[in-house]
Amino acid sequence: MTGAKRRLAAGNRDIDICFWNDAKIEMTQRLCDSLDSRRGPRTPWMFALVFVIVLSPSLVGSQEEPASNRGDAEARRNPGEEKNETLSQAELFRAMSLTSRAFREAAKRIEPSLVTIESYGGVSAVQGRIGGIRSQGEGNTTGVMISPDGFIMTSTFNFIQQPPVISVITSDGRRRFAKLLGRDDTRKICLLKIDNVSDMPVPEMVDESEAEVGQWAMSIGVGYGDTSPALSIGIISAKNRIGGRAIQTDANLSPANYGGPLIDSQGRMLGICVPMNPQSQAIGAGVEWYDSGIGFAIPVANADRLIERLKSGERILPAFLGIQSAANPAGDGLLINRVVPKTAASDAGLKDKDILLEVNGEAVNDMLRLRQILNKFESGDSVELTVLRSESGKQDAVQVKLGVPPLPEGEEEQLEPPKIR
Amino acid sequence: MKQPELSLIYRTLWVIVFAWSSTACTSNAHSQDPGPNSFIQDVIDAAQPKMVKVYGAGAGRVEGFATGILVSDDGKILTSQGVFLDGRQVKVVLADGTQYQATILKRDRVSQVSLLKIQAETPDYFELLSEPVGEKGDWVVALCNSFKVADKDEPVSATLGIISLRTTMEARLTKRDVAYQGELVLIDAITSNPGAAGGAVLTADGQLVGIVGKIINSSETNTRLNYAVPNSVLARFLQGKPDPIVASQPVEVVQQADLGVVLFQFGGRSNPAYVDRVVRGSPAAEAKLKTDDMIVSIDGNKIGSVRDYARVLETLRPDEEVLMIVKRGVEMVRIRITPRAKK
Repeated sequence: MTGAKRRLAAGNRDIDICFWNDAKIEMTQRLCDSLDSRRGPRTPWMFALVFVIVLSPSLVGSQEEPASNRGDAEARRNPGEEKNETLSQAELFRAMSLTSRAFREAAKRIEPSLVTIESYGGVSAVQGRIGGIRSQGEGNTTGVMISPDGFIMTSTFNFIQQPPVISVITSDGRRRFAKLLGRDDTRKICLLKIDNVSDMPVPEMVDESEAEVGQWAMSIGVGYGDTSPALSIGIISAKNRIGGRAIQTDANLSPANYGGPLIDSQGRMLGICVPMNPQSQAIGAGVEWYDSGIGFAIPVANADRLIERLKSGERILPAFLGIQSAANPAGDGLLINRVVPKTAASDAGLKDKDILLEVNGEAVNDMLRLRQILNKFESGDSVELTVLRSESGKQDAVQVKLGVPPLPEGEEEQLEPPKIR
Repeated sequence: MKQPELSLIYRTLWVIVFAWSSTACTSNAHSQDPGPNSFIQDVIDAAQPKMVKVYGAGAGRVEGFATGILVSDDGKILTSQGVFLDGRQVKVVLADGTQYQATILKRDRVSQVSLLKIQAETPDYFELLSEPVGEKGDWVVALCNSFKVADKDEPVSATLGIISLRTTMEARLTKRDVAYQGELVLIDAITSNPGAAGGAVLTADGQLVGIVGKIINSSETNTRLNYAVPNSVLARFLQGKPDPIVASQPVEVVQQADLGVVLFQFGGRSNPAYVDRVVRGSPAAEAKLKTDDMIVSIDGNKIGSVRDYARVLETLRPDEEVLMIVKRGVEMVRIRITPRAKK
């Protein structure tokens, strides 16, 4: 359940004031009207608010800053004061309506850079389950234009059926064919490119470091098949999830908005919505948590290096070590039950019954911890393992270059979506 | 200047939170003046007497219970369609815990709602406006008895969310049911749970947006939808007017149309609609369709696969020109094509 929808919480410091710019005249009028018709005497508080809205240009467009926190803290310090200033029901409703208005304004800001992704053909969906999940829907999916020259970021989930042909509809209503470039399977994001464009609208982005747990977050996607995107509101639940790759939100995320943006109340992009599950790297993993209040988005505001790699067509794969292990019954570390052949672990000379004590100096005592640590890396990264050798009984430092899972016998790797012609 | 202004705004929010939390425990704290524009707690308080719990027959794993709303002072109740209506009797429990046997006045296969009646006076009921209520982004409260958590006189559960989208969409019901193709109000409060169907979806000032629809899977996303059947559809149903969406659907059997295109077939996969061969003298030949063209859309319908093509072809009528978009190399080509009657 998307439980914590009590969004009018003080924690939401970024209930934004930039939208008041448009709204202030009308809202002032409406507030006055509602007070006139409904309440009789206006409270001094309302006069003050109306005064503030009408007369202060400095309010408009001001950024979040310590001042806002001070204001909030002040309110906390003087709880008695609010009781004297209790708003009428109508005023409370007005305040609530303002948040709805803010959501619409924020959505409007990013809508021009949303694209609708259409795919043609692909692995037949008849089998029902693909990549361990229920099959993808028949509908279109969402992407975000991230550069004026036509690079589009979206989620790998949207191509789970490996369509040989992909087109996108940009916000100007034009349909263009798109090329699938690189993909990052550790983040479930990928890049599309459309050609012969130069002035595509791109969203303003906000870095994860500026985002705060508890602030508003809204997911947007076109997957329900309307020309207008669907919104879902929530908060940022946590940062630095899944090996530091994702921020977590309780806004509803689902195939309707995977590949679409998670935005803040000013319409700035916090990240790309993706299905994720810290327990599994499978392409569809995480979809089982759709609309559950547990969702993840990948921040890309300062991911220039990553984006360059994707532009060059690189495929970034999850790190795979290649051991089957269990907690060491005799003490610290993980007892390696089996070293999988043709993996990073076998290349580095790990042996059955060795005990893995540390990865890059971090102690590992259970598989979950090992997975958490490995989640921080990708295939090709090197880590240092501290291993207690079963043969010699000595502690060794072993350099390991993390790899990919070995392919089953007789199977060839398919990096590219299969081409029909 | 800046700081006092900001503090005022944040104080507003703080007051909201204060009001919210204070009324969460005592339901009548703000009862002195509910007014038409009352706040969430009062919206819920005012709506609870208009909510009913509906119990009927279950079938296998399909639940035999639902939620309903009172829509008249003489015991008329709107609820969803479902197997709970198919048993020998349907039981309705009012908010005060009193029980009644209900009779089914009418059911609508398309909007998937039904109208029940109990022999009781019900002074508290929802007025159905015929104009749509609520726009995208507006806060809504869904009141429903999901998982029949509430029993007897216990109030049904309230969940908060926003309107995600007002749309008409293709969606498919879980097995054995007809497709609902009418207008939907998608919300982001989770209502796709057993027993929630028939619950009320209200705006923050207490107007009825619609009732929670039965559980359906969207064919677009292959996910369960959280949605309301809008008040305007309900009002039409109550007045006995046919849904215009249904009424406008053609009923006569038309002759099958043909374009003279043979598509490329390739086993085991869902293929894009690549043209393998163009029949000589056919509409496709006249429109200069070529081998290796990929059909992107016909008459505004996206053709994602060979299967889509077959489905859309069935909707075409002979001698009615349509716009076809094809991919030729990397170009998008627009073609006007007039189907012929299939021989």
